[in-house]
Amino acid sequence: MANVKLQNLGKRYAGGTQAAVCDVNLEIEHGELFVLLGPSGCGKSTTLRMIAGLEEITDGQLLIDGKQVNGLPAKDRDIAMVFQSYALYPHMSVRENLAFGLRRRKFKLEEINRRVVQASQILGLAPYIDRKPHALSGGQRQRVALGRAIVRDPKVFLFDEPLSNLDAALRVSTRAELTSLHARLGATMIYVTHDQVEAMTMGSRICIMNAGRVEQVGRPLDVYRDPANTFVASFLGSPPMNLMQTSVSLNADGQYLSLGSQFVNASGLMTRLATPLTNGQSVTFGIRPEDISLRPGSPIEAEVLNTEALGAETLLLLSLDGLPAPIRARVGRDERPAKGSKVGIAVDIDRVKLFDTTTGQALP
Amino acid sequence: MRWRLTLVMVILGFYTMFAAGPFAWVALMSVRTTTEITANHYAWPKTWHWEKFTEAWFGSGYNVYFQNSTLVVCSAVLVLTVVGSMAAYALARYRFPSNRTIYFILFSTIVFPPQITVIALFQILVQYGLYNSLPGLTLVYVAFQLPLTVYILETFFRRIPGELFDAARIDGYGEFEVFWRIALPISLPAISTTVILNTILLWNEFLYAVVLITDESKRTLPLGIQRFMGDQLEDIGMIATGLMIAIIPVVLIYAFFSEKLIKGMTAGAMK
Amino acid sequence: MITANHQNVSQRSPWGAIVTFLLPALVLYIAFTAYPVVRTFWNSFHHVLPKGETFVGLENYAELVKDEFFWRAVGNTLIWSLASPLLEVGIALLLALALYAKVPGARFFRIAWFTPVLMSYVVVGILWSWIYNYEWGALNETLRWIGLGNWARAWLGRPDTALPALIFITSWMWAGFNLVVLLAALHSLPSEVIEAAELDNCGWWGKLVYVIVPLTKATLLNLLVLSFIGKMKIFDLVWITTKGGPLWSTETVSTYVYKRAFEWNTFDLGYPSAIAAVWFVIVISAVLGLSWLLRHGEKLEY
Repeated sequence: MANVKLQNLGKRYAGGTQAAVCDVNLEIEHGELFVLLGPSGCGKSTTLRMIAGLEEITDGQLLIDGKQVNGLPAKDRDIAMVFQSYALYPHMSVRENLAFGLRRRKFKLEEINRRVVQASQILGLAPYIDRKPHALSGGQRQRVALGRAIVRDPKVFLFDEPLSNLDAALRVSTRAELTSLHARLGATMIYVTHDQVEAMTMGSRICIMNAGRVEQVGRPLDVYRDPANTFVASFLGSPPMNLMQTSVSLNADGQYLSLGSQFVNASGLMTRLATPLTNGQSVTFGIRPEDISLRPGSPIEAEVLNTEALGAETLLLLSLDGLPAPIRARVGRDERPAKGSKVGIAVDIDRVKLFDTTTGQALP
Repeated sequence: MRWRLTLVMVILGFYTMFAAGPFAWVALMSVRTTTEITANHYAWPKTWHWEKFTEAWFGSGYNVYFQNSTLVVCSAVLVLTVVGSMAAYALARYRFPSNRTIYFILFSTIVFPPQITVIALFQILVQYGLYNSLPGLTLVYVAFQLPLTVYILETFFRRIPGELFDAARIDGYGEFEVFWRIALPISLPAISTTVILNTILLWNEFLYAVVLITDESKRTLPLGIQRFMGDQLEDIGMIATGLMIAIIPVVLIYAFFSEKLIKGMTAGAMK
Repeated sequence: MITANHQNVSQRSPWGAIVTFLLPALVLYIAFTAYPVVRTFWNSFHHVLPKGETFVGLENYAELVKDEFFWRAVGNTLIWSLASPLLEVGIALLLALALYAKVPGARFFRIAWFTPVLMSYVVVGILWSWIYNYEWGALNETLRWIGLGNWARAWLGRPDTALPALIFITSWMWAGFNLVVLLAALHSLPSEVIEAAELDNCGWWGKLVYVIVPLTKATLLNLLVLSFIGKMKIFDLVWITTKGGPLWSTETVSTYVYKRAFEWNTFDLGYPSAIAAVWFVIVISAVLGLSWLLRHGEKLEY
């Protein structure tokens, strides 16, 4: 169990114009399951590999338990890593795969055996402990990769998209197992993934990365509800948050935000803002599909472009007059308006997020 | 279409006879005496003169030629495997400035006509006292097959997933240990392919042997056989037996490793 | 953004290991391949005699241009290198197509056809000089047997038949190799394309020309180039059978170089080095030219 600190961490490749990772500041607490989430190429794997010692750190500092480890080789950092492709030694049996790293560190034979037995009990590896990797299924291989990390009893566990190579059903069950494993071991785990569902369900805290930088760090639901910028807002959530241009309209009977040619009453929202908005100011309006509902008789009207009845819910593609792009709404399973019909919609103003049009940052 | 199938079988049969016939013929002749052969070249052996093999082995010096060939080929293949795999590993898995240049130079050598090196090698070996010696020939053979060996192994090493090496490094293994404990065991199939290929190609090698070996006692098998061809009175029976002695090792390797061998030799050609 | 704290640590490239891995191979290569190539070029500008070397500039090359034996050898080698690939690959292709259908016992046949490739040229040479023997060789005997006795010849003994006879031998050797490769290539083609061609009522020839050849073009070209390179280098077979005779009709560049270097009593290594140098440049240029041509072929998608 350890605490990991990244201070202004960066990675620049020789001859590269842009840094792969730039100015990352993170503090991962003891026993956290910390998730690095982002699209491919965002630098999350590179960051993980820098923590592991597989990539050289070009800028900044890495501290494990308060001790700077920039120059320390991977084998001395007391970390264990579970790779996306498991990286099991194909010519060794499961038992030998588990013992390999321990042998190198000159553990006593009995200690090695004890750990191997313990790991195989936790993960249920006993039935195939003497088989070679090619005789195992994907799920079994993944467990062995986990086992290899567990026997090491490291300060930090590092996971590099470990579930990506599993089929959907296995992914769901393994997710739950990993979470309970974390609870059981109480270990510090840093987990990289591009899958939102994994991040939201497994992480104690998540960190969204994009183009080598940290966009936002926080608890999953906090980040979901209060995205720090438009990138985070549109990355989390499926279907993503609707983002559109809006202009402020302040007049005698209230404060309004435009939705195309129509207006929505935004009094409650305006009062919560730290800096009041000026009349005619242009901002980005963000609302999640699940926060749009159908309300017949509502002053705001939309035309239904498409209806997707998914069984448990219905997704609507709506067009509002004056808005260039359609918006999506998530409504109940029995609300299935016909294509082309006009419906009244309501927007949950408490859930609306406003962003600065130029910087994309959320307006506090 | 029955006639189509029969046509196919006929073609198959003819071609197989055509390809393998001559060898069957030599095999049969190797157990007949020259007198019997001169009487009828294509008869089935009445008595199987297995003693001709012992005669050839001890009497005609084939044992010496065979031993020389074995010595040279085994040493060369051993050195090739060690040196070639190390070089291929370095080229495949490490990034350094002249990597691709070195690889390209090594690889392009495969196309060189041997004449470009044979004269100078003669001079060099004479200069260093390695002329007409088996060690000298062995060294030349190693250099000769190095490009092909490195090419085959480099391709294979390149395909090993990087994460395997990452895991080994995290487990605390140093560079050479990673090579020895991880890369080599995994690449056993590719290495055995190069061993088989090199063995067969060097066993049959003729040009360098002809130029660099003159002593009767140091001749390799191809040279030894050629000597008999040069005699005025062709002792066909003896030559046939000698040919069989030369062919048998290759046939044995082929019998056990045919699939691997075929795959190895044809892999480069197929795209 | 780079901060002031630039920590640079252990080198990513472990130089010690790289050098240890590469050094033996490089030393051997330089000593026994790279240096000899340079030395040969050096020789080509000298008279290289047992007593010593004398610089002669381009004299060897000038002599080369006038050397009728050299040009004869070049001609023979080129004929061989151009005819052989076409024969070997063409026959192999036709056979592969005929056998593409259902071949029972395919594995056995592959093994049988591959055998000639594995044998030393020495063995092959001796075998075929027996087959070509005028009195009792299998070829002439068969001809006499089927009544075409007057076609029997001393195949390797006559200037007009010797080279074709040798070319036939190499075709015999390599057709099997090409056949195995092509069969594998044909089997890797998606069968839907061939079925589509049949549905289009192409007919046998049409199918060949418009569907199969284009799709296997890459493999075919590879085999042709491999065969070409192999024949440009050929030595063993000629040396065992005809040694370049009769009357220079089978003289190849490689046999001529050998003779000039080690058999003629001039003992001058400079002149044969010049020949080797010229031939080296020709072969490399041919290979480069061919690969350039190949690379500009279109990529096919299926």
